[in-house]
Amino acid sequence: MADLNALLIQLFAGLSRGMVLFLLSAGLSLIFGVMNILNFAHATFWLLAGYITVTIYAYLADTFAPGFLLLVPAVLGATAIMVALGLLIERVLIRRMYDRELPEQLLLTFALVLILGDVIKLIWGVQNRRIFVPVTPMQAFGVFINPYYFFLIGAGFAVAIGLWLFLHRTKYGRIVRAAVYNREMVNALGIRIPMIYAGVFAAGVGIAAFAGGIFSPLLPMALGNDIDIIVQCFAVVVIGGFGSILGTFVASLLVGIVYSFSILIWPDGALAMIFLIVIAVLIWRPWGLFGTELRS
Amino acid sequence: MGSVRHGTALLTKGTNVSIDSAPVIQKTTPRSVVARTFGKWGLSGAATAIVFVGFVLVPLVPGQFWIYVATEILILGLLAMSFNMLYGYMGQISFGHAAYFGLGAYGAGLLMRFFRPGGGEIGYLDFFLSLLAGPPVAAIGALVISVFVVRLTGIYFAILTLAFGELLYYIVFSWYSFTKGDDGVQGLLPPPFFQDAVNYYYFTLAVVLISALLMWRILESPFGYTLRTLRDNQRRAAFLGINVRLHMSVNFVIAGTFAGISGALWGPFQRSIAPGLLGWQESGVAVFMALIGGSKIFIGPMVGSAIYTFLHAFVTIYTVYWPLTIGLVIMAIVLFAPGGVLGLFQSWFDRMTKKNDATADRSAQTRQDENTL
Amino acid sequence: MTANILEVRGLQKHFGGNYVTQDISLDITEGSKEAIIGPNGAGKTTFFNLLTGYHRPDAGTVTFDGRDITGWPPHRIARAGIARAFQVSNIFLRMTAWENVRSAVHAQMGQSLNILGSAAKIGAERTREVLALCGLEAQSATVAGELSQGDKKKLELALALGARPRLLFLDEPTAGMSLEETRDTMALVDRLNIDLGLTILFTEHDMNVVFNHASRVTLLHRGEIIVWGTPDEVRGNATAQKIYLGEHQL
Repeated sequence: MADLNALLIQLFAGLSRGMVLFLLSAGLSLIFGVMNILNFAHATFWLLAGYITVTIYAYLADTFAPGFLLLVPAVLGATAIMVALGLLIERVLIRRMYDRELPEQLLLTFALVLILGDVIKLIWGVQNRRIFVPVTPMQAFGVFINPYYFFLIGAGFAVAIGLWLFLHRTKYGRIVRAAVYNREMVNALGIRIPMIYAGVFAAGVGIAAFAGGIFSPLLPMALGNDIDIIVQCFAVVVIGGFGSILGTFVASLLVGIVYSFSILIWPDGALAMIFLIVIAVLIWRPWGLFGTELRS
Repeated sequence: MGSVRHGTALLTKGTNVSIDSAPVIQKTTPRSVVARTFGKWGLSGAATAIVFVGFVLVPLVPGQFWIYVATEILILGLLAMSFNMLYGYMGQISFGHAAYFGLGAYGAGLLMRFFRPGGGEIGYLDFFLSLLAGPPVAAIGALVISVFVVRLTGIYFAILTLAFGELLYYIVFSWYSFTKGDDGVQGLLPPPFFQDAVNYYYFTLAVVLISALLMWRILESPFGYTLRTLRDNQRRAAFLGINVRLHMSVNFVIAGTFAGISGALWGPFQRSIAPGLLGWQESGVAVFMALIGGSKIFIGPMVGSAIYTFLHAFVTIYTVYWPLTIGLVIMAIVLFAPGGVLGLFQSWFDRMTKKNDATADRSAQTRQDENTL
Repeated sequence: MTANILEVRGLQKHFGGNYVTQDISLDITEGSKEAIIGPNGAGKTTFFNLLTGYHRPDAGTVTFDGRDITGWPPHRIARAGIARAFQVSNIFLRMTAWENVRSAVHAQMGQSLNILGSAAKIGAERTREVLALCGLEAQSATVAGELSQGDKKKLELALALGARPRLLFLDEPTAGMSLEETRDTMALVDRLNIDLGLTILFTEHDMNVVFNHASRVTLLHRGEIIVWGTPDEVRGNATAQKIYLGEHQL
């Protein structure tokens, strides 16, 4: 029974890790699909949001009783701050990179990773940060599980569905999707591309920030987490296909679960396993499992 | 327009351009002197000469510290130049290039360890054999991986090379019995003569110089210019009869071999090697150097290595926020000087040489820092 | 009896459900100079793409000089002796005109893998020849990206010629040109055909060019051959006139 316990716990861990990956990769994939910019700093935004959430929560917890309810303003606050930051960065930095070559775009967003990473270090120091929310473990499937996992998985699904609905059922979503396929046409139709870009970027950052916030009770915020995660996000986006929400979702779960179970078998090689999958996908089907052949 | 030599005619003894030189009115202003002296060589030639002379003179500066720094600049500069064969000359960015640097280091280092199992100083023959073992290991690694990566370009190429680089890192990291894994290999001591910092420095300089000359030869060959067509318009190159994948593969192996040479030099220099040498962070350093110095000029990455290494050595004395510093530098370069430091010089240089030739206007205007290679 | 340098049989291509090339068959005799015409979207460029290996045909065969080249990749077809000049100049922008043409020459000479030779010393003769032929000798040292539009088009042609082709496809060679430029360009095309014996197949929208320079005309519409024959025959054809009604005066 102990084995089953371990497996189940890993499954939940894998699923929730998959959710983090999904929330991050969805934004990454959208930003790349619409704006053709691979945002290396995406996970750093996530990390930063986590730190901000922890700080707000700690501040509030001085006055009010700690608990999940307090998490709400903390997460919302962090998300708002990050969206504002995202808009600022898009306006000042990213906007200049649209016509540039790929390597320069990559280097710019990578420079952001370095800069923001040290900014986090400057403000919060090198200690890991974590929110401790008192919670009673639930019993499910014969195992004791932190009920927060369910919330996270649910939140992930909710965002996934919401995003899909937005892209496929609303006018704005359709415009965004159209922009993935044909930027010039959308521009020619009189819709202002810069605003779409700003919106998509802010939305992507917002979702990442939201993820950072809601995961702060579970994952300790530590320097370097962002770099670990962003590489996995690349893997997800490649496997799932740029610009495909469904693909990103499936790939996130896949990567999350593979990673979690690899920890049991080959701890050091979890990432290597994922890279092997990435290599296989890139060779066999470079546009991903669910993507369509990208415009070049 | 004839008398202006562009950066394309780098260190050329004779150009391939069969236009008659228009007669130049000889002036003696400083500008004209600069133009006449350096006009024949172009900025790149001049920069290469300056850099080389600079390296030769380094040991004149007192203190061992600068010798170490200069050795590091040379080795990593060669790595960055080998990266630039893929990037500046062929137009692809590889985020896993340091893997071949690491393979070269391990090829040499493990053989040194084999000759002297307990670690410690080895004999001269063993030393040279070990060094010679590095590049082939890197070349084989590059050959195997090139089969896969040349099917893709752009972002996919970047991610795939990253993935393979990380895979190689993991193999080295995990294969404890063979590579000692995360512990790395210590006690790599070269023979007595080379233990002296200055001697090893000049040895490194010689190796790097010969490698650079060979690289230059390759890049100015028909193959080298074919690479440039792949960079500028891969599809058209295919329509001209060029087998794109084959050429990419050959270049990938050549670049990997040069990276292996620099790796082989690294082990005895640092007296140890570790799996991190293969990782993406090291690859990133090569990319930064090429970018900072200028990817469009042959010697650019070496200049970038000098700037990066100096900066690193200097900044880390005063602060721990190195990532912030280098991040800001990279951002500044990308936003304001995408041609790198030498790219900035190129623009200045063009303006200088343009004013001295009545007929130079047209072709000087054609020279923008994007078009040097 | 001059041989057919190109024989196309039953060529077909579809994208999704859309048949852009439907069962095209045609022969081209060596040394001829022919035109393919048709309204926009008729499939002319796709046809060239199929013949030069950019697309793989779904059905049909292409035989060049007796060899079956169906499904060959572009670089192999190019090495076999087919060259192509694009409608929108598709050149190497960061290299000089000289280096552009020289690359084509090196490729054709089989020198593109020569890693130790000197690029400057190989193929210089031929490079100069081709540049002179296209009137670009004065621009040899100019970086391609800085050339005027007209010169870019000339370089486009020079690139195709550098590979020493036997069959040359020209995609709208006079597009966007003035009267004088058109005249010069077509004079060059004539010279290539008559003096150098190049077989030339070009697409055009300018009917004057077509009727003054093509020995034979093929009309494509919606991926099919509607009619082919001498310019006069095509001009007199009722279907052809209907297709072009409102677009051109035949």
